[in-house]
Amino acid sequence: MTATPVGRRAGSTPALSPSESIADYVVVGSGAGGATAALVLAEARRDVIVLEEGPVVRDADRGQGATEAFMRLFRDRGTQVAMGRSVIPILQGRCVGGTTVVNGAIVWRLPEDAYERCFGEAGAREVVPLRELERRMERIERDLSVAPAPDRLLGGNGTLMKVGVEKLGWRGHAIRRNVLDCQGSGRCLEACPTKRKQSMEVTYLPRAQALGARILADHEVRLVETSAARAVAVSGTRADGSPFRVAARRGVVLAASAVQTPCILRRSGIGPRAHVGTHFRAHPGTAVAGVYRDAVRSWEGASQSFEVDEFRGQGFKMEVVSLPVELAGVRLPGLGEGFQRSIADYPNMAVWGVQVRAEAEGTVAPQGDRSRIVYTPSAADMARFRTGVERLAELHFAAGAMRVYPGVHGGPDVLRSPDEIPLLRDLPLDPRNYSLIAAHFFGTCRMARDPDAGVTGFDGAVHGVRGLWVLDASIFPTNLGVNPQHPIMALAMLLAERIAG
Amino acid sequence: MGLSEGAQHRIAVVLADVLGEPLDVAREVAAFLDGYLRRVPFIAALGLRVVVWAVTWLPLLFVGVPLTANALSSGVRARYIRRWAHSRVYFLREGFYLLKAVALMGWGVQAGVRARLDLGPVAAVRP
Repeated sequence: MTATPVGRRAGSTPALSPSESIADYVVVGSGAGGATAALVLAEARRDVIVLEEGPVVRDADRGQGATEAFMRLFRDRGTQVAMGRSVIPILQGRCVGGTTVVNGAIVWRLPEDAYERCFGEAGAREVVPLRELERRMERIERDLSVAPAPDRLLGGNGTLMKVGVEKLGWRGHAIRRNVLDCQGSGRCLEACPTKRKQSMEVTYLPRAQALGARILADHEVRLVETSAARAVAVSGTRADGSPFRVAARRGVVLAASAVQTPCILRRSGIGPRAHVGTHFRAHPGTAVAGVYRDAVRSWEGASQSFEVDEFRGQGFKMEVVSLPVELAGVRLPGLGEGFQRSIADYPNMAVWGVQVRAEAEGTVAPQGDRSRIVYTPSAADMARFRTGVERLAELHFAAGAMRVYPGVHGGPDVLRSPDEIPLLRDLPLDPRNYSLIAAHFFGTCRMARDPDAGVTGFDGAVHGVRGLWVLDASIFPTNLGVNPQHPIMALAMLLAERIAG
Repeated sequence: MGLSEGAQHRIAVVLADVLGEPLDVAREVAAFLDGYLRRVPFIAALGLRVVVWAVTWLPLLFVGVPLTANALSSGVRARYIRRWAHSRVYFLREGFYLLKAVALMGWGVQAGVRARLDLGPVAAVRP
């Protein structure tokens, strides 16, 4: 019996034989953090097993539309939510490559202000210096072919945002993306149908595999086993329900996301209860649609091609969000014939999102087979949303929109002129009035020098347990305000290099 | 957990009015709902199934008529649907939008709908 390599069919994963159920390092999770850690450890000639809960992404799974993407590639088939004052969908990939398979391919170098707010204020400047992260980011950018979206890929959606930004004199730019020879199919969120997106399942994981790493899909880790305060193994369940256990000679690296990693630690009784699963931070977002005289055809070009960082200092940024028609239609006004009139505008519609660096903290805890996420944006966060929606309406009109759909319950259904923008200043600040969705999760195993203040040290090692590290967004002391894949990978690379020695 | 043929028929009549589509399109959407309920995790399926049940059976509560939603006159049914969509009670309103969101998934994959909006096929055509 052998391990299932990436590329073989999911669901046919055979059991590891006893002799194979051991490695120097067991990496849990195959997304941005786990894949990077696995590659670094494999490059150091360590024996690595990567355990991924989700399936292998087959060619037949790629570009099959939003519904099939949810069903095949997302956690809980796209139904995961955070409960709080409102219900907020929480989108995460669940497949080999993790969320990198289904994200918009947006790459941000960690800006100095975000670094300072996240790592500097936590006291990590000396152990996690920005210049060391930047060196790793340079390598990652080379490895993943990162470059700004060229004009030909902006699509109608991105081109209009660029026009609006130039008219208003705001700071905006083509998004830097990890895509090699993008074909502009507008399907980043469905797993790139042409494999041009340089997500982990086509980059770091195959490279790690070529160096000897074994990557096992359909293996959900539920527990970390310890002996004499040292992590010695992980155990869990395969997709077919059978149990498995994999031992670690040197240690276990948890990189299962800021939702799953704290759940594994909680189930295992590891880490301070005051911090494991608490301090959950996110970047919730909402979208505003504008209807234009000419066709926009938002499904052509890069899924996310242009962004506005003019307001990052105020806690939000804006970006193109090319939603498929079935998702774009949910909050459009009108029922029956009214809905038909609204949706008929879809080919002429540009949809842009505002993403907030929310100050609210929530919690994550295991609940049966699932995770229970409790989260409510604060009043200050909602004020940022209100301002962000207003700014997006302004941007749409500057770009030439005839009508704008703000999509906020209790506000105007539609704005037909820039003169109506002031109506948005009275939008309610209750999250129940907004159609929010959240991505980018942080903080649930935050790093801190003092074991009383966090779950891991600045080296990612779990306080009080030898041979156990967390190398995903869980250890970020707070949220960044920019897309986190790149910073997650850079931090995982830096810390994995230290683990490898 | 799915939808019986009867449940599919009843909700299809409502969805035809929500989406402004002919009944045959709405029937396809209802069949999609049935398949969706069978594929998603139990807790999510339960929530959606409760919404389908409530939208079908609660005209008495919303418009004071002791009939199922599909049996209402079209004018009363339009008023009934508006009351769900604009309810001041968050969980009622969100329940309606959950139903609309999932229904749109089943609507947006239909070839006729996509052709009308000049969209290509649901699945990418690989070079």
